[in-house]
Amino acid sequence: MTADTRVRDLIRWFGDPADPANPVGRAALLAADEQGEPSAAGEWLLDEYGFGAEFVPVELGGRFTQLDDLVRVAREVFRRDVGLGLGYGITSFMASVNVWAAGTPQQRKQLAGLLLDGGKVSVGYHELAHGNDFLRNEFTADRTPGGYRLNGTKEVVNNADRAGAWVLFARTDPAPGARSHSVLLTGPEDCADGAVTFLPRYPTTGVRGCRLTGLDFRDCEIPAGALVGTEGQGAELALRSFQVTRSALPGMAVGTLDTCLRTVLGFALGRRLYRRRVLDLPHAASVLTGAFADLLLCDSLALAAARAVHLLPGQSSVTGAAVKYLVPKLLTRTANDLSVILGARFYVREGEHALFGKHLRDLPVLSLGHAGPTACLATLIPQLPRLARNPGPPAPDALFTPGGPLTPGIPYDHLTVTADGDALTGVLEESSAPNDPYVQTLLGQLSRELNVVRKALLALPPAERTPLAGPASFRLADRYVHFMAAAAALGVWRAAADDFLADPAWLATALHRTATRLSLRPAPPPAEHTARLHAELLRRHDENRSFDLYDLCLNG
Amino acid sequence: MTVPSTYTEQTLTSWLVDRVAEYLRRPPTEIDPAVPLAEYGLDSVAALSLCGDVEDAFEVLIEPTAAWDYPTIRSLAGHLLGRLEART
Repeated sequence: MTADTRVRDLIRWFGDPADPANPVGRAALLAADEQGEPSAAGEWLLDEYGFGAEFVPVELGGRFTQLDDLVRVAREVFRRDVGLGLGYGITSFMASVNVWAAGTPQQRKQLAGLLLDGGKVSVGYHELAHGNDFLRNEFTADRTPGGYRLNGTKEVVNNADRAGAWVLFARTDPAPGARSHSVLLTGPEDCADGAVTFLPRYPTTGVRGCRLTGLDFRDCEIPAGALVGTEGQGAELALRSFQVTRSALPGMAVGTLDTCLRTVLGFALGRRLYRRRVLDLPHAASVLTGAFADLLLCDSLALAAARAVHLLPGQSSVTGAAVKYLVPKLLTRTANDLSVILGARFYVREGEHALFGKHLRDLPVLSLGHAGPTACLATLIPQLPRLARNPGPPAPDALFTPGGPLTPGIPYDHLTVTADGDALTGVLEESSAPNDPYVQTLLGQLSRELNVVRKALLALPPAERTPLAGPASFRLADRYVHFMAAAAALGVWRAAADDFLADPAWLATALHRTATRLSLRPAPPPAEHTARLHAELLRRHDENRSFDLYDLCLNG
Repeated sequence: MTVPSTYTEQTLTSWLVDRVAEYLRRPPTEIDPAVPLAEYGLDSVAALSLCGDVEDAFEVLIEPTAAWDYPTIRSLAGHLLGRLEART
């Protein structure tokens, strides 16, 4: 079944969001969120659809072949409800990649069976006290004659109390360093009564339907077969597995911003102020077209990162951290910009605009969860000086082709803990737009600034390349990621066959916004570009098509 | 930082001590090559970066995780020496 078919199926299954009688429509999903419970109808729908199969590689009976397809399919869930997307399955995906990467055939088969049956898997890496510094974790697995004895607590674990299996990150050696942790696959069936207790649910500001609980183990004996990979491989396995999930998760939430933009655009078309439609007020119009351009920029970076896992796996430690840093941040910021147009309405928790407020509450969790923005930059900083010196060859067009075929399956063995190059920023240097003087000028400005940043990175002393680096290093890494995003948009434009994506109108605005964020004071895009972007935004709204790279019909 | 002209465990150890001292912002005299880097607070990610430095400086391929598997400067110097000798 192609990704197109799966996406269309999900759209049909979810039906009309505006229908008040739809059990997975806007009103119903909001009501579940208000009650702080996962949407029962939403979970039933995903059970029936077999959403768990999306995470399982085809050779194990699932539907997973390539990461950009998974992003598209999951985007349909995130378009409607972030909590449902995260709560139903994304944490299962995060857990499972560790097992696909390093599990035994038996473990892979067992986990595939569980997910194909609609079961859930929890992932327990973090402890609150240690945040993303997870090598300081105190959760221990001590060797016993029959296996391991678990002691300690895993906090804020999604679905911990209802998962059929848990993937846990545990200390297996008291020595400091990165070879003292291991990954374990276990579950409630392995544990004797009373050896594990569930922590109470954590109330949260957003994604209120997610069942975030925790696990507390006291002398819990589990069999030796729980070990995933080898003892001491935990940190490396985590670093490699996280590249996959970091590369995928942000792109899913592009659907969330799509709904925000759709909601606000609908409002701006319908409401009149100062004797004209809100849409016709210049400020509102520029916020809306800007949001559209940002959405396409985010999707471009998300596409490049997801496809890099297949095409440039040796660079995924950088592309994954970059997309996980920037895209949730931009999506949140853009949704905030849009809230200005809704005015007081976005604050109201009922009515047709309430979903916007819910999305606004939910989006920040995508930044916070899995790897925070600081942790993502800390992954990049030590690597950037080397990449600045030797970025390697620029990326091929295949990296930027939405839905372009790839060799099925993730090449886990080719994911490395440090990147062997940065093919993205090279695109910024090698490409040109001879037929568009505005874009051409911007590209020149961006390339020059990229070189300034590279020089500054090369000058960083070793002490500035660790997690203890000062704010200047973090600022450089932040700037570098913006160049990667601009390069991804440029790559998509360059590789596009589609009329709109091959037109410089959206690229001009996306690059303009990037250059503005980099404080380069670019000239505003020409009026004809803005008008073209505005017209496309309205067309997609009128025809109920998605605002992302796929221009997909959303009628169920 | 200049790379030693002759490779011995001694010269490599001395180069690594200087480099690690820069990461830790401590004088090289305070770095004991027999103490695990993690005990000095050299983070696992910085350890990856150190291996990148070694690759660039000595133009030799080593695993990015070499400093995880050879956790002291002395053991890392021994590993590096082996790689350099294998190259020639």
